[in-house]
Amino acid sequence: MQSLNLNYYYVLPHIILSITGIMSLLFGAFNKQAHRDLVFINSAGLITAGVSTYRLWNLVSSNAKDGPLTAFSGMVVLDHMSLAFIFIFLIVAFLSTLLSLNFLEDEDQSPEEFNSLLLFATVGMMLMASAGDMVMVFLGLEIASIATYVLAGYRKTDLRSNESALKYFILGSFSTAFLLYGMALVYGATGSTNLETISNAIKSGNNAITAQPMVMELLYVGAGMLLVGFGFKISTAPFHVWTPDVYQGAPTSVTAFMATGPKAAAFVAFLRIFVFTFAASYSFQLHTTWVNLLQVLAILTMIIGNIVALSQTDIKRVLAYSSIAHAGYALIGFLADDWISVAFYMLTYSIMNIGAFAVVSVMAGKGDEKTELENWAGMGFKSLGLSIALLVFMLSMAGMPLTGGFMGKFFIFKTAWDKGFHIIVIVAVLNSAISVYYYLRPMVMLFFRDENETNPTPLMSWTTYVTILLALAGTFYLGIMPGRLFSLLEVAKDVLVK
Amino acid sequence: MIFFLQEQIPLPNPPISSAPPVQVNAILTDINPIVNYLPILLLLIIAISFPVVALNISSFLRRTVFDQAKLSAYECGNDPVGDARERYSVRYYIIAMLFLIFDVETVFLFPWAIIYDQLAIFGLIEIFIFIGILIVGYYYAWRKGALEWV
Repeated sequence: MQSLNLNYYYVLPHIILSITGIMSLLFGAFNKQAHRDLVFINSAGLITAGVSTYRLWNLVSSNAKDGPLTAFSGMVVLDHMSLAFIFIFLIVAFLSTLLSLNFLEDEDQSPEEFNSLLLFATVGMMLMASAGDMVMVFLGLEIASIATYVLAGYRKTDLRSNESALKYFILGSFSTAFLLYGMALVYGATGSTNLETISNAIKSGNNAITAQPMVMELLYVGAGMLLVGFGFKISTAPFHVWTPDVYQGAPTSVTAFMATGPKAAAFVAFLRIFVFTFAASYSFQLHTTWVNLLQVLAILTMIIGNIVALSQTDIKRVLAYSSIAHAGYALIGFLADDWISVAFYMLTYSIMNIGAFAVVSVMAGKGDEKTELENWAGMGFKSLGLSIALLVFMLSMAGMPLTGGFMGKFFIFKTAWDKGFHIIVIVAVLNSAISVYYYLRPMVMLFFRDENETNPTPLMSWTTYVTILLALAGTFYLGIMPGRLFSLLEVAKDVLVK
Repeated sequence: MIFFLQEQIPLPNPPISSAPPVQVNAILTDINPIVNYLPILLLLIIAISFPVVALNISSFLRRTVFDQAKLSAYECGNDPVGDARERYSVRYYIIAMLFLIFDVETVFLFPWAIIYDQLAIFGLIEIFIFIGILIVGYYYAWRKGALEWV
């Protein structure tokens, strides 16, 4: 048992963001119409948190020989994986803050709750990334989820937004129950909630409290429950049904956030528990079992996501099914025990998805009224810049070279192929080919159809403009020059202590 | 599920006096530790039998006169049966949430107060941070007009 090691420096990014969230809440309570000021407050907090995360990254790198840094009796674990994902969350929160200004101003929604909930959700996600204990994973998940449920229903008088929030809440709670039951069973088998103790217990085969041989069936059932719970959160195939309705109903800027941030957070907790704790070096049999299960899940997820997306007529539903398919691609990285390619994939996925949703939020207009593809007929030349940006994001999601999506898929498929998972990589590549059809269909509607009604030219505020530009820059940067970032992560792999 | 019960339940220390510690209780406990829970079973039986007995006795003694109001379910004066889609004041929920914030969260102060002597200055600072966050929430609710009834 570690000592109660209270080290506030290790959770400084979390503390900074929490304080910023409270401050923006108070600032909004003092000032009416504080939409723009709050964007600056949020951005300042996020950038400060980013700087302190960068300093922690350097600290972790210099302490690499001693293993990951732990604090608060092993509740908080800092290693390169947690910090890499924290960076992703900060980027997602920053882009979402910029993107949401348009929605909040146009529809005259109160901005302070939105901005502080966004930050609190980010803190929850960061806690999930740096969790060293199953209790902490659960706590972070709840903080992130509850804030996101509220955000999904932010358009209070809109029935679809209400439906989205309610569905997200009920199914989210349902999946959390699975997760919690799985944690309880794993605790029953191994005698601890601390992930390091659990991995030691699995290695030795003894319960950590009683020192008796552990009941393996309990561990397997617990691991299965955890798999179901995380499967809900990242929307893998049999557990994906909530995704399209929730993504469609929520305000588009919220959809952009919850399709990327909470998903990446569930991925990092999933990695932490399965790839790191239930690793092959601790229990070969357990590892083989979950790898086989995940293989089936990943294939199902990719196929269902891509096939069903073909028949969708609403752009937000298309993107929802595409995000299901992307969860399937990212799961392939789990099979190869490779967190780096998963982290890289989640970064590219987040950036291009937020970009695509930003374009959708502008094209759909006030109140997200025009999300049907039919409504977009002939709009391409009227809003040429937006359409070309959407084309880039869509091609990136399909995996076109020179874009970030290609590099993400390439690294994932390469590591899996090297580890001998040939069939699943072939299935994934075929699926990418299918996906090109539905990614290009909006382009056909935009450019090759006649306008059926006189649509006004979509207007956007400068923050949305900046969001789209940043997402474009990120997509191209990750696609053309991924080497620098990837070598940074590769160094992290060498010093990673499993 | 026997697995969870495998831990040894420690028996109470033997009495210090030299008198022979032969007690029915101790013998029963040796036979099966579940006997310790016998009082709970007794309490359950008493708790169930009390209303049953009381209602039955009073049904023999009282005069029985039924009318419309008496036969309806007791609902504080509201009509017990009606349309589910009724309009009601959302204020009630705001009050309920304020109650959650200020009453339930104050529950966290009690565990702190019990081990205050061990936590010392560290615990004091932490609890002030906690109360500070609560005050921010209170002030926010106030500014937002949650405390204005009309």
